[in-house]
Amino acid sequence: MKTTNDTPGDVLVSCQSVWKVFGKRAPEAMRAYLERGLSKSQILQDFGCVVGVSDVSMELRRGEIFCIMGLSGSGKSTLIRLLNRLITPTSGHVRVKGLDLASLEAKALREVRAKHIGMVFQSVALLPHRTVLENAAFGLEVQGVGKAERHKVAEQALTKVGLAEWAGRYPDELSGGMQQRVGLARAITSDPEVILMDEPFSALDPLIRRQLQDEFRQLTKSLGKSAVFITHDLEEAIRIGDRIAIMKDGVIIQEGTAEDIVLNPKDAYVAEFVAGISRLHLVRAHSIMTAVHAWRASRPGAEAESLARVEAQADLDELINLMVGSGSDALAVVQKGAIVGVVTQSDLLRGVQGQAQEVPAVHAAPIGEASL
Amino acid sequence: MNEPTFATHFDETVDGALEWVSEHCAGFFDGLNAVLTGLYEAVFWGLKVVPYPGLAVLIGLLAWRLTASRGFALGATLALLLCAFMGLWQETISTLALVLTATTLALAVGIPLGVAAGLSPALNRTFEPLLDLIQTLPPYIYLLPAIALLGYGTATALVATFIVAVPPVLRLTALGISRTPRQFIELGEASGTSTAQLFFKIRVPFALPSIMTGVNQSLMMAFGMVVIAGIVGSGGLGEVIYGAIRTLDIARSINGAIAIVILTLILDRLAQSATRAGKEALHESH
Repeated sequence: MKTTNDTPGDVLVSCQSVWKVFGKRAPEAMRAYLERGLSKSQILQDFGCVVGVSDVSMELRRGEIFCIMGLSGSGKSTLIRLLNRLITPTSGHVRVKGLDLASLEAKALREVRAKHIGMVFQSVALLPHRTVLENAAFGLEVQGVGKAERHKVAEQALTKVGLAEWAGRYPDELSGGMQQRVGLARAITSDPEVILMDEPFSALDPLIRRQLQDEFRQLTKSLGKSAVFITHDLEEAIRIGDRIAIMKDGVIIQEGTAEDIVLNPKDAYVAEFVAGISRLHLVRAHSIMTAVHAWRASRPGAEAESLARVEAQADLDELINLMVGSGSDALAVVQKGAIVGVVTQSDLLRGVQGQAQEVPAVHAAPIGEASL
Repeated sequence: MNEPTFATHFDETVDGALEWVSEHCAGFFDGLNAVLTGLYEAVFWGLKVVPYPGLAVLIGLLAWRLTASRGFALGATLALLLCAFMGLWQETISTLALVLTATTLALAVGIPLGVAAGLSPALNRTFEPLLDLIQTLPPYIYLLPAIALLGYGTATALVATFIVAVPPVLRLTALGISRTPRQFIELGEASGTSTAQLFFKIRVPFALPSIMTGVNQSLMMAFGMVVIAGIVGSGGLGEVIYGAIRTLDIARSINGAIAIVILTLILDRLAQSATRAGKEALHESH
């Protein structure tokens, strides 16, 4: 997994304290929720309203894949639909490339949807009476692009997802995985900067799903697209996402890189999700290493300079290979040529177990209580 | 409550109302009569202008083109010729003209109203009881008020047939339009479709099978009614059978019935094939 670029790029999509309350008395219910602090079940009882998304703020930066992970009913599907205003927020602002969606006229909104935001659905939603090619060309057809031109572009998109030779077939002749590739081709045909992925691979079997996850990540990166990706599977979020947000009951409870979330789950709920995740490719040397002086204190006479060296970005898998290979019980962690720490065998074992060392002091604190 | 008195009052009121309407709206009903009769005459003339073997062959060719079944095409031609040999050619094409005119009018009204009802649940709820009422009453009920207002003849038959033929296509159009799968509406919106694009590119293709079933059902209802309308002087096969029943001319009534069966079978099959052809055309139009 890649780590995110620390310098924030352009923000393509942003939400600022966005709320969505479903029901006829939504504004009233929201006020009661804010002012009187009613619980969600009380809101349902008193107003007949359901709180879908409450006070969510997030940003999608250019070139990144932002995963929103949550179980059913967490509000993730509502949130993604707020981003292209398939659902209108009860309050708060959603901006796409600086444009406030709420302020747009119908025509301008259609334009944004047609040209700047593509969407891929869990149900795929390929029109059954159209060929694969015509389905892929749908977005351009809606924009009024001529037949020859749109079919040419759609063919290129199908080539990118490896389905060029299926162009003349009908959707029901394709397997589930292939259908979802067509869904992806349809989304990229209009060449939008942002792609919204609404649990696109959830209905596929595990092998195909992994394959599509990798293909999707590769394709998005090579085309320079940005994506918001909804999933109920944390492993999928980790495989695909540059950053991950975890949603529960309409709220984003934690946001960060895969490593952040796995190493420092913010509460028991996140910790439970993280528990089963393999750390091998997530946790890196810099998060488990011991400071040089601490190591030296426990091993009088030892010199860090004499140890085998490893980059700070190396993951647990590499560290294990190196340590086993070198036959030594410690590795020196190097950043920009200087030794910044030492990884010992016990550091490594703790890392596999999922507990960070106290070295990055900011990270270490909450884990103890959270994992109870 | 004194029942006879009540019944007498009620009947007088209804009679009075009908009389009032036919007096005060005479101009309107005369106009309607002229328009309907004119429409029918035009269609009838169009069918009559071709000599009967020619028309039988033409319908056979059409059947061949639509169904791609040579056997059915040949059978249709021969069966129509049989109608002519039974001495019922004029009556057969007169019935055909009546059915075509009434069904066309019913579709022209039923499909747009069905679309509106499919898009607006409130409107659909308004239509439902009315359609239920129309479909529950025995069809020949519609002959009486029509005959009071439009007189004995073709126009009355057309109006009664029209009333019976509207509900199926209206209902099935509304059903088809309202049942567009949710995820495809979402797809349309997310792709930036205009209202018209969403309707024609997404709703209509999904609704088409239902609408075409409605068209077929309306056609069949119209057939049934046109025969019943023989009582009010519709002309055509209905009147042949009605007349034969009154004079107990069993042979002629059976001839008429055979001609009706032939016509119904051919039209039903053609309408179904046209539905399929329409769907294929939709496939190729993208």
